[in-house]
Amino acid sequence: MDSNKQNLAVPIAIVIAGIIIASAFYFSNSSGSNNVAKQDLEDNQQAQQAEQPTGSTDDVNPVTEDDHIKGNINAAVKIVEYSDFECPFCQRFHGTMNQIVDEYDGDQVAWVYRQFPLEQLHPVKAMAEAVASECAAELGGNDAFWQFADRMFELTETNNRTDIETVIPQIVNEIGLDNDAFQECFASGRYDDDIQEDIENAVVTGGRGTPWSVVIGPDGTTYPLNGAQPYASVKQLIDLVLSNK
Amino acid sequence: MVKGLLQVFQKIQYSLLAGSIALVIFSFIVLFPNLRLLIQILSNQTFSFGAKMQFVFSLFGSIQTNFTFISATYTILIAVLFGMNIAMFAYYIRRQRAVVGKSNSALGVGGLVSGIFGIGCASCGTFILTWALGFFGATGLIAFLPLGGEEFGILGVILLLYSVVTIAKKISSPQVCVI
Repeated sequence: MDSNKQNLAVPIAIVIAGIIIASAFYFSNSSGSNNVAKQDLEDNQQAQQAEQPTGSTDDVNPVTEDDHIKGNINAAVKIVEYSDFECPFCQRFHGTMNQIVDEYDGDQVAWVYRQFPLEQLHPVKAMAEAVASECAAELGGNDAFWQFADRMFELTETNNRTDIETVIPQIVNEIGLDNDAFQECFASGRYDDDIQEDIENAVVTGGRGTPWSVVIGPDGTTYPLNGAQPYASVKQLIDLVLSNK
Repeated sequence: MVKGLLQVFQKIQYSLLAGSIALVIFSFIVLFPNLRLLIQILSNQTFSFGAKMQFVFSLFGSIQTNFTFISATYTILIAVLFGMNIAMFAYYIRRQRAVVGKSNSALGVGGLVSGIFGIGCASCGTFILTWALGFFGATGLIAFLPLGGEEFGILGVILLLYSVVTIAKKISSPQVCVI
């Protein structure tokens, strides 16, 4: 009898492990899940959170001229990436996405960058870098945004180790932005709501970490892409989606 | 210990069992973050079977891009060690018609569970650990862990390794009646 109990220990424990994983998956996809970014939202926007949809990629905010886009806004496939300048996986994925937009015609694939700074993991710095990138866009347009983003991902030490007091002014100078105007923009807080909206949209579409991407196909079908997937996977996915016209 | 390992894994069926379990665990960990996407792609009737398979296999490349060096290392080790653990459990139980002690079972499974909590792909952090801590409203704790939750994966490897060594020793020890 006792030995029977012992024999059952392994399968029972494996089942428990399976339940833990399944629960994690279930809760991570439900609207009531806990998430590092969402925790911040809970603090600030409890009323709005009650109305959040169920984590469908179809809830991705439409791509507009206000977005930061590499490629044609009417491209057949749009990859909307929610990213954090302090995230090492976003740094890797940034390189992958640059490779993708180099490989495909701008009419075929467009890359849309949205903000998803994970405040609990990268306090202060991730948000500061997100604000700085928005100010770069305000002062220098879409090209300046991408110059800032590319350079930021080159210089960031990630995981909250970046010396933003040095790196941000350095990039501002390198890309030729007006320093005073940049400082005014940076201190104004006028992009806080926009960034918060991006964070909310990332969470609403199912983002539970960064990088989180929603791929929008030519027929409007949306696909979730989680994490810094390799170039081959992103390319395969694009080719599949392009074939699904 | 080596004698015990050879005793088990020289038998092809136990090597296959260990390899199969390791592959399943590894695939699960690597593909899990994109389960929703995989279901969507695999259930799409317009995509060819070959293209679907190519996409699935391409996702295995994320072990290089979506994991840190430490997490990729312990992910592979956890998969291999857990496969070895199960195969050795099976061998020991079948050979001796006996049971492996509770402590060994607990070590093996504890190692897997700990390893699962250390899965660090797809985001800046360990997504299952993030969820689990979030359940208690303590996601901020991850920021205070020196390796951002990867400690659990390393602990998993240590537990599984200890379990493998202990079972291997039991297997290689002579079968005698202790008085």
